[in-house]
Amino acid sequence: MRRIRACPWAEGDATTIADAQWPEYYRVRGPGGKGAILGLGAITMSNRIGRRSVISVAGLAACIAFWPALEVRAQETIKFGTALSLTGNLATEGKQVREGYDFYVKTVNERGGIDVAGKKYKVEIVYYDDESNVNTSVKLYEKLISEDGIKFLLGPYGSGITIAVSNVVEQHKLPMVVAHGAASSIYNRGYKYTFGVLNSIEHYTYNMVKMASEQSPPLKRLALLNENQLFSQLGIDGAAEQAKQFGLEVVYKEKYSSGTKDLSPELEKMKASRPDMIIAGGYTNDMILLARQIRQIGLAPKLLGYLLGPTLPGFVQALGPDAELTLEPVQWSPTVPYEDAMFGWTAKGYAEAFNKVYGHIPDYHPIQSGAALQVFQNAFQKVGGFDPQKVRDAIAATDIVTAYGPIRFNDKGQNIAKSMSVVQIQDGKPVVVYPADTAEAKLKLRH
Amino acid sequence: MQLVAQIILNGMLLGGLYACMALGFSIVWGVMNVVNLAYGSMIMLGAYVSWLAVLQLGLPFAVAPPTAAAVLFCLGYILQRILLNRLAERSVFMTLIFTFGLNMALINLNLLLFSADVRSLPDVFTRTSLSIGELSAPWSRVIIFGAGIAMTGALHVLLNFTRLGNTIKATSFDPGAARLSGIDVPHVFALTFAIGGAVAGITGSLVAASYSFSPFAGESYTMKSFVVVVLGGLGSVPGAIIGGIMLGIVENLASLLLDSGYRDAIGFALLLVVLVARPRGLLGKRFFAEVKL
Repeated sequence: MRRIRACPWAEGDATTIADAQWPEYYRVRGPGGKGAILGLGAITMSNRIGRRSVISVAGLAACIAFWPALEVRAQETIKFGTALSLTGNLATEGKQVREGYDFYVKTVNERGGIDVAGKKYKVEIVYYDDESNVNTSVKLYEKLISEDGIKFLLGPYGSGITIAVSNVVEQHKLPMVVAHGAASSIYNRGYKYTFGVLNSIEHYTYNMVKMASEQSPPLKRLALLNENQLFSQLGIDGAAEQAKQFGLEVVYKEKYSSGTKDLSPELEKMKASRPDMIIAGGYTNDMILLARQIRQIGLAPKLLGYLLGPTLPGFVQALGPDAELTLEPVQWSPTVPYEDAMFGWTAKGYAEAFNKVYGHIPDYHPIQSGAALQVFQNAFQKVGGFDPQKVRDAIAATDIVTAYGPIRFNDKGQNIAKSMSVVQIQDGKPVVVYPADTAEAKLKLRH
Repeated sequence: MQLVAQIILNGMLLGGLYACMALGFSIVWGVMNVVNLAYGSMIMLGAYVSWLAVLQLGLPFAVAPPTAAAVLFCLGYILQRILLNRLAERSVFMTLIFTFGLNMALINLNLLLFSADVRSLPDVFTRTSLSIGELSAPWSRVIIFGAGIAMTGALHVLLNFTRLGNTIKATSFDPGAARLSGIDVPHVFALTFAIGGAVAGITGSLVAASYSFSPFAGESYTMKSFVVVVLGGLGSVPGAIIGGIMLGIVENLASLLLDSGYRDAIGFALLLVVLVARPRGLLGKRFFAEVKL
């Protein structure tokens, strides 16, 4: 297991330092280990000063000793840096994200590393924990760049945090590939160094609305409801746009206050608009309440879709039969028909290999993490080196197919080559129902 | 018209939940002048205890509310006795800081023990609704409303017609005089906080059975409790249920007639109006409502 390192600016011998405290490390190597610490080492070994100062002197010495080593080692190991939400309210997702990064590192290193200009490079990721906090994350990215000397950044988890962090990488002109930030506002600010491998939030419902328009007879009346909060608002506004495009009429569109305990006023009004399809977006607890009250109020849409929810842990369990036939767009599922050009596996093959290591079939989080790293890998190989500016330009020109899906960026840095699959809960299990070439089962209407 | 009647009924039932939430918050604030910012997290803890009892230990749901109440009662007693009593003599501000920190601690404790996943107790209450003429009321909400009324009644009796109640009130009015009369003040304060905890535990059980919950969901409960208590009046047990029902109905009507986004805005506007027009709250008694700095 790779750990969050106590002294990550020590680039030298990562595992030794990570696993041992500084004094121990020092003792193992002895003062002659590196020339630069000889003098200080003698003082330490003489043991004439207190333990505290031994530790600080040894620490200082080792840092001085390994500073030049940074440059040397960097040619053998490519280092990425990221701060993830390993604790706090996003910890569940943070863990899945990390598994994806780790799995890529493990796979690549087992195969001998990345081949750049005829030389093999191992891969390593420096992790920090942002505690699900924006301010902490910004500080940690500053630290990764300024103190740890990381040149290639992987995105954090969540749109809010990603927006803040993208300011930092833009200032330093270092490329960051985002795996888990879907808000279009991340990409709409003309930034040149932030790229996202995933579909942005306003594209989430694209296939869901398209699917509704392709039913026979096509569904006509669409009701939209979202939590009064940026992410959900962008997603539902996107759905309203797509409704226009595919000829549906938006018969109801409103937002509700976060954390509300009664959605009946909204749903009664929605009921009066007789929708064929409802799409809602918001916090999971609210979405569970929504599904319950839709039944209690006697709303009977033919399709009921969410921006997020049905595939999250707890949703189906909380709702039982009320979760049946709900829809959610997902970034990826093991059924998507893509074969990875770098690793040679299909989406299904990825899921199986991942399952062997972590003991569970991955949802979209891990492979999305891996895709971000594959974008970097491809760029390094195209450039044949590690100049951040050249790597950034190569990333902008990415055109690859991975098991996650095709990746090609528009000038805002959004991946425009991939689309979302639509998942429906059938008999308590999520199955892909759209697009047809990835479908595991036929879409069922609720009424 | 029928729609408006239905929404008012729904608002009233929602008020039952608000009353449950606010009762324990109210008694602690009214008696000890402690605004317990960790109250929502205590409700969440009650929900998790119920979840453990029912889904992990396989006990019937009927056991969950008493279990949650007992656990939270003990926790409340210990917290007040060991920690909060030390601050009771200090300013209100210190207790605010303390309960703010306690809230963080409880959230992270829940997070560590139960993860951030959304949980709930499915299939505890029947999924059917009660029909009243043209209107309908889901049984789960009717049960919570009933629990709100029952707990209000029980607390009202406890505070006004028992020796313990008189002791609590006496201590609240004048801790110094109570001490001189031989009342163990720290013990009484701890008992009061514990009773507040027990109410949070029962509310947590009900929330687990009819809503879903996660460690961070507690904050919205604290906020609503705050509004309800101020509306209904500090130190008034029936005030919690009056304030709860009023807030529920006003919120729902605002969502129906105005824009749903205004739900909270209207709720807090109501709070401001009541504070300006009747600072004690609707049923508040003079002494309780004074913030003792």
